[in-house]
Amino acid sequence: MSILDKQNDLPAFRQAVRGWLGDVVPSGWKARMASASNDEFIAFQRWWMAERSKAGLAIPHWPKDYGGAGLSLRHLIVIADEIARADAPQARMFTISLIHLPGTLFPHGTEAQKRRHLAGVAKGDVWCQGFSEPNSGSDLASLRCRAVRDGDHYVINGQKIWSSYSMYADWCILLTRTDPDAPKHRGISYFIMDMRSPGVEVRPIRQANGRSEFGELFLTDVRIPAENMIGRENDGWRVAQATLASERGVIAFEGAERQRYEIEAFYRRALASGAPWLRDDQLRREFVGFLAEIQAGRHLLRRLLEENERPGASASVLPSIVKLSGTALRQRICSFMTRIAGVDGQAFAMLAEAPFGSPMFEFMGAFTGTIAGGTNEIMRNIIAERGLGMPRV
Amino acid sequence: MATTASETAGPPDQATLDALRDGVAGVLAEQSGSTAVHAFIDGKRPLDRDLWSQAASLGWLGFGIPDEYGGLGLGARGLAILHAELGRQAAPGPYIATLSAAQAVADAGNDSIRQAWLPRFASGEISAAVPATPGSAALAWSGQAVSGTLRCLGAPDAGVLLAPVADAWVLVELAGADVTATPMWDPTRTVIDIRLQQAKPAALLDDGAGAALTRAMALAVAADSAGAARSITERTIAYMKTREQFGQPIAGFQALKHRAADLATKLAVADEMVAHAAERAAADADIWVMLAKAEVTEAAVFVTTDCVQLHGGVGFTWDFDPHIFLKRARLNEVLVMANPVLRDQAAAGLAAVTQAGRSALELEP
Ligand SMILES: Cc1cc2nc3c(=O)[nH]c(=O)nc-3n(C[C@H](O)[C@H](O)[C@H](O)COP(=O)(O)OP(=O)(O)OC[C@H]3O[C@@H](n4cnc5c(N)ncnc54)[C@H](O)[C@@H]3O)c2cc1C
Repeated sequence: MSILDKQNDLPAFRQAVRGWLGDVVPSGWKARMASASNDEFIAFQRWWMAERSKAGLAIPHWPKDYGGAGLSLRHLIVIADEIARADAPQARMFTISLIHLPGTLFPHGTEAQKRRHLAGVAKGDVWCQGFSEPNSGSDLASLRCRAVRDGDHYVINGQKIWSSYSMYADWCILLTRTDPDAPKHRGISYFIMDMRSPGVEVRPIRQANGRSEFGELFLTDVRIPAENMIGRENDGWRVAQATLASERGVIAFEGAERQRYEIEAFYRRALASGAPWLRDDQLRREFVGFLAEIQAGRHLLRRLLEENERPGASASVLPSIVKLSGTALRQRICSFMTRIAGVDGQAFAMLAEAPFGSPMFEFMGAFTGTIAGGTNEIMRNIIAERGLGMPRV
Repeated sequence: MATTASETAGPPDQATLDALRDGVAGVLAEQSGSTAVHAFIDGKRPLDRDLWSQAASLGWLGFGIPDEYGGLGLGARGLAILHAELGRQAAPGPYIATLSAAQAVADAGNDSIRQAWLPRFASGEISAAVPATPGSAALAWSGQAVSGTLRCLGAPDAGVLLAPVADAWVLVELAGADVTATPMWDPTRTVIDIRLQQAKPAALLDDGAGAALTRAMALAVAADSAGAARSITERTIAYMKTREQFGQPIAGFQALKHRAADLATKLAVADEMVAHAAERAAADADIWVMLAKAEVTEAAVFVTTDCVQLHGGVGFTWDFDPHIFLKRARLNEVLVMANPVLRDQAAAGLAAVTQAGRSALELEP
C-alpha cells in the first residue's frame, strides 16, 4: 500500500510519510554535502527528487490531471512537518520547478505548455528563474533583456543575474523586453527558454557564504520558438505577478518547521552538555524570546497557508509580513548562535551535521532570506502601501 | 449574547469566538471611543462604572467562568479576546484584576468557594483586587486573621481581595477596609494600597490559586497590550494620512512607511504570541503565557512609544490619544512579574520539559 493510499486517514498518512523518510533518508547526508563537489550535489538533489517521485511525493499538491495527487493543504503541512522532523534534504534545486513554474502555468499557460512542461517536473527537470538583471533588481520592471520577433521565433539578447541553480537548469522562465517604447510595465514578455539553446552561457557566481548556487546568464542571439511565450506579447508583467505570488509561504513553512526542530535539537544538546550560555542571564532570556517568536511565526505561516485557499488571498500582505518577520528572526537567531560560539564559530566551515554547528555559515546564509524574492525593504513598502494604505508619492 | 450553558459546553469554536469578538468590539467602539475615554480621564464622565454595568449585563464578566457558576465557559481564548478588545479602547475598569481573580477561584477553589464567589464575579456584583505583582509580598497570617499592606491592581471600591499568605491564598472582603488609591500615570486603571488589621478571610485557597492567578493575569496583560498597541497604531496611521508637511501627507514619507510596516509586523507577531499562549490549555501553558507577557508587553511599549513620536507635537499633548496607550503599555509591562524573571521562569519550565524528553513546541495534533 502506498503512502498516497492512506490520504483519507491523516494520522496514518503521517505515519506512512514518517516511515518512508526513516527508510529513505541516508544518515550523515549533511556531512557528506558539506564537502560535496557540484556534481555530487546535483546527483544528490536528483536522487532525492527521484525518491520523492517514487513515493508519489514529488508534486502531491498538483491536480490529478497533471500528474499530481490533488492533496489538501493539511496533507502538505504533514509532509513538510515530517520532512523537517526527519531533517531530510531540501529539494532546493527544484524550487522553481515545484512552485514558480506551476504557479505561472496553471493560470497563464496554454494547454500544450502545461502538458509538455509540467510532466517533466516529476521526472526531474530543473527550472531556473531569469528575472533579475544587473541593473534591474528591486525595480524589476525596468528590465532590458531584449526579445525581437523573427518569423516564428523570438531572438533574445541580454543578461540575467542571480539566477539560482541556473548552471544545472534544463529550462528557464525568462522575462524580456519586447517593446522598449512602451511604459516599463507594458513592454515585457514572458518566455520559456531551453537552457541548451545555442547562445545561452551561464557563469556561476560565488556567494558570501562560500557556495555558488546562483549564476549569471549571458544570452546572445538565443532563438526561442514563439509558442514558448506565456501569455500575450507585452503582457509578461501580469504573468510575472503570478510567478512572484506563487510562493506565498510554502517554502517558508518548511523552513520554519526545520528551524523549530533545529533549535530544539540545539537546546537539548546545550542542556545535556551544560553549555555556558545557559548560565548567562542575558543570553538565556534572549534565547527563550526566540522560542516565543518561532511559535508565533509558525502560527502566522499556518494562517497564511489557510488564507491562500480562500478567494481574494492575492490582495493580502500577509506573505510580506511573514517574510519580513521570519527572515529577520532567522538573522537574529543566527547572530545569537554566532556570538555564543566565540572564536571557534569563526573557523571556516560549511553545512554541519550538528544543529547550528556552523553558525557563521547559517548567519551569512540568512541574507538569502532578507534579500532574495524581494528585499525586506520592498516588503516594508508593500505592507505600508498595500496593507496600510499609505500613499505612494 | 444570551448564550445558554448548553450552547457553550466544550471548548468554543473559532466562529463563536469571532462572533464574540465582533460583539465586544462593537459595544466598546460605541461606548469607549476616544472622546469618552478623554472625558473619563478629565473626570467628566463615569465611563468606568457605565462600562462595568454594560459588561455585567452582556455577560463579559463571566467569559472565563464555567457555566454552572453563571459564566459562559469560554476559557483562556475567550478571555484573551475580551482583554484585547478592552485594551483596544483603553477601557477603564478593574477587568484584569476581577477576571483573573475569578480564574484563580475557578481553578483552585473547592465547590463551595466557587459557588459562593463565581456568580458574584460573573454578575458584576463585586470587583476584585489582586496584588499588582502577585509573587512579591504576602500578608501575615495568624491562623485566624490576616494583616499587612499590599499594593494591588483593582478599583478603590473593590469588594474582595485575593492575596497570598505564607503558603496559601485568602479571599478577604473589603467592606470597611483601609484602601488608598494611588494616582497613576495610566489614567485608565487604578492601583490601590490595601491595609488590613486582623481581617478574617472569607475563604482559604491552596497555593494553586497563586499559579492560576499569575497565569490569568499574565495572559490578560499580554492580550490587553496587544490590543492597545494595535489600536493606537491604526489611529496613528490614520493621522499620518491626514497630516501634511512639505506639501504631502507624512504617510508618504518612506522612512515613516517603513516604521509603520515594522509596527504592523510586530503587532502580527504579538497577536500570535497571545493566541498561542491562550491555546496552550494544559501542560506547557505557563511557559507560553509567561513568554507572551514578557514579549508582548515590551513590544507594546516599543509600538506605543513610536506612535507618540510619529504624531509629532500633538503626540506630546494630553488631548491626543497616543499618551494614553503608551501609559497603559508601561503599566502592563511591569504588572504580574518583572519580564526578565518571567523569561527565567519560562526557561526553567522549558528545561524541565526538554529534560523529561518532551517537546513544548508541538503544534500538530
Ligand atoms: C540568494 C539569492 C537568490 C536569488 N535568486 C534569484 C533567481 O533565481 N532569479 C532571479 O531572477 N533573481 C534572484 N535573486 C535576485 C533578487 O530577487 C534580487 O537580489 C532582489 O530583488 C534585490 O535586487 P538587487 O539585488 O538588484 O538589489 P537593489 O534593488 O539594487 O537593492 C539595493 C538596496 O536598495 C534597497 N532598495 C531598492 N529599492 C528600494 C525602494 N524602492 N525602497 C527602499 N529600498 C529600496 C534594497 O532593499 C537593498 O537594500 C536572488 C537573490 C539572492 C540573494
